[in-house]
Amino acid sequence: MKLKNCMKKTNQRKKRNWYLTAGLFMTGLILFLAILGVFWTPYDTTAMSAGEKFAAPSFRHLFGTDNFGRDIFSRVMQGIGTTAFISSLVVLCAGGAGICIGAVTGYFGGFLDEAIMRITDAVNGFPSILLTLVIVSVLGGGIRNLILSLSIVFMPSFIRIVRSEFIKFRDADYIVRARLMGTGTVRILFIHILPNIFSTFLVSVTIGLNNAILAESGMSYLGIGVQPPTASLGKMLSDAQGYLTSAPWYALAPGLTIVWIVLGFSLLSEGIRSRAQ
Amino acid sequence: MVRIENLSVAFDGTEVVKNVSFQIADGEILGVVGESGSGKSVTALTLMGLLSDAAELTGGQIRYDDTVLAEAGKKRDRELLRSFLGSKMSMVFQEPMTSLNPTVKVGKQAEEMLRLHTTLPPKERMTRVLEMFALVGLQDAQKVYGSYPHQLSGGMRQRVMIAMAVILRPGLLIADEPTTALDVTVQNQIIALLKEISIKQKNAMLFITHDLNLAKRLCHRIVVMKDGRVVEQGETEQIFQCPKEEYTKKLIWSVPSRVKKKETAVFSEAKRQQDGETGQEAPVLEVRHLDVFYREGSNSLFSGHKKRCVVEDASFEIKKGEVLGLVGESGCGKSSLSKAILGMNKEVKGEILHRTERPQMIFQDPYSSLNPSKTIGWLLQEPLRAAGRLDKKVQMSAEDRRAAAYEMLKKIGLKESYFDRKPAELSGGQRQRVSIGQALITHPGFLIADEPVSALDVTIQAQIMELLQSLQEEMKLSCLFISHDINVIYRMSDRVLVMKEGRIIESGGTEEVFRQPKEAYTKLLLECG
Repeated sequence: MKLKNCMKKTNQRKKRNWYLTAGLFMTGLILFLAILGVFWTPYDTTAMSAGEKFAAPSFRHLFGTDNFGRDIFSRVMQGIGTTAFISSLVVLCAGGAGICIGAVTGYFGGFLDEAIMRITDAVNGFPSILLTLVIVSVLGGGIRNLILSLSIVFMPSFIRIVRSEFIKFRDADYIVRARLMGTGTVRILFIHILPNIFSTFLVSVTIGLNNAILAESGMSYLGIGVQPPTASLGKMLSDAQGYLTSAPWYALAPGLTIVWIVLGFSLLSEGIRSRAQ
Repeated sequence: MVRIENLSVAFDGTEVVKNVSFQIADGEILGVVGESGSGKSVTALTLMGLLSDAAELTGGQIRYDDTVLAEAGKKRDRELLRSFLGSKMSMVFQEPMTSLNPTVKVGKQAEEMLRLHTTLPPKERMTRVLEMFALVGLQDAQKVYGSYPHQLSGGMRQRVMIAMAVILRPGLLIADEPTTALDVTVQNQIIALLKEISIKQKNAMLFITHDLNLAKRLCHRIVVMKDGRVVEQGETEQIFQCPKEEYTKKLIWSVPSRVKKKETAVFSEAKRQQDGETGQEAPVLEVRHLDVFYREGSNSLFSGHKKRCVVEDASFEIKKGEVLGLVGESGCGKSSLSKAILGMNKEVKGEILHRTERPQMIFQDPYSSLNPSKTIGWLLQEPLRAAGRLDKKVQMSAEDRRAAAYEMLKKIGLKESYFDRKPAELSGGQRQRVSIGQALITHPGFLIADEPVSALDVTIQAQIMELLQSLQEEMKLSCLFISHDINVIYRMSDRVLVMKEGRIIESGGTEEVFRQPKEAYTKLLLECG
């Protein structure tokens, strides 16, 4: 023990958490653009202008214009909003359900736990895109069904993380004591244990958010999910496909935005994790 | 032989060893005694050259005979150190579980030393290892040679570690709390072994411990350390008989010993006998012919279970206001028994009769018994909230709860400012105080204390025992006090149960059991403690 303590001190040097700073900056900027995009965009996102088709990026059109002469920057701003809305709802649904199911299975164990774990294994067994496609084709397209199907696909990972944390804490001395006090099970689950898994869960939420953004873009790229004329990053990428050589900025703008968002959230989760430790 | 002069070591600018000087003569056993954080381990690690790179030698030097091993401001000479390690000095660590490689047979691990430092052919290496194993008292050395660490007991592993450490006949053996992880009876054997080896092999020894009793038994001279400084050093007898420094006195005084018996217990026992009424009151807890089982095998869906009996035929009772001590070594079933009493293990046969509501428990590890995400005030109020929810009659308003929590804070000897702090800001002893407060705030009537002071430093141990005793008397609390330390049991309890391998082998009044133990095992425990 003593030995370990001495060696631990090596890692305890106070360093500035650059991951967190950079992550906060990148995601903050995106969030700002997304919220701004709801109320105001430089141009109307659906206003077409035949004279300005495929205009290269300039001060007039920051990211250029697309095949209908629409301002790409305005559409990216709106697209971020759409993508963020869908992916955060997905994480909210999947994460919320993950907490409830994971808490119960992890805390009680036994047959229920075993059964649910096998179900999550089965869901994990399918490639996630394929599974989403199947669910969407059964339920039909549209944003609501896209959110629903992505939530189902994302749920197992949340369940597993929450479950393993609850298993870790269910036999901790202070939980045993809470039981001895006569504390109710629901209170033990959500008041006594849940706050302790917060930092772990936050990390998985940021990672989940990342994956949800990628998944939404992928789905819209494939043509299910967001329908035109609503802008979404994935849909824009898909539309830009035909003009890669003539108007590369059309694909680059939404593409790089996705990269920026994903990188921002990755840095943020890394930052949170290193801070939690 | 070894001289440490004005040694200072710092981690990231904070000095943890300050200006420490002492020397070890040939064949001498020097004890370094101190509580956790006193810098005793860091001193030993510096001597061995095992400090991490974050540590910096800020002053002084270490000499071994005429060679300077380490000096402030100079880079460590790793080659020089390597030639010293093993052959001239070696070390035995605290944890025999993690200091042996679990994937290599212990014989091979011991041979490694010879392979690195000598040119002996394989056959002779093996004979040397077997000789050493015999020397450290391992029966059937051949079998041990071919065993993996997990097949050996803690005591045997520590013997293997010692054999490895002395196989090259080093001049200095450093033993860093070598017996702390072991049971008392085994502890004694290891101490005797270390003494014997140092006489046979004529090596000096640096014995690091937090346990003054052990140091007293083994060492010629003692260095007392506190907060990185040497407080006092001198011959063992002199230190124990006329300690000069205040801290040394406190340390000696804190060690629970059988000489200092609390007066109140004797008094209360006598009073209880006079007082017919209390004697006839129904016991708070009755346990009759209790067997406790433990489920073996994985808890997977399709595999069956095997039941193993860990407690056999336990019968006892606890009267109101009485402290019943339960003593035994690790694995004897004392924790299983307490879990069964609290209803956390349902695999039982026999009768458990409670006459109090909601018995509470205090745990050993102060670092895992408080919820790290809550404040102390919240933690103290939670039992009241839980009780209020279960029974509307004892429901309290938020203000009353706060007041009760503040009052408890005062009782357990913490300042009011602790109310809004989180457990991470508290020391081990303070956390244990909060634990006690949390257990007692609902006036439970019956309390199980499972090794409540074992993880604490001796001076803190004494304070916590005092606190427990005063609260127990004040609240007329019945208590099952579990410990492996027979001295702690003596100080705390009115009656004693001795447990071995799942059975209660002896019971009786504390004085009676300690003066005239009937069982051989009890006698052994008393001798070792």
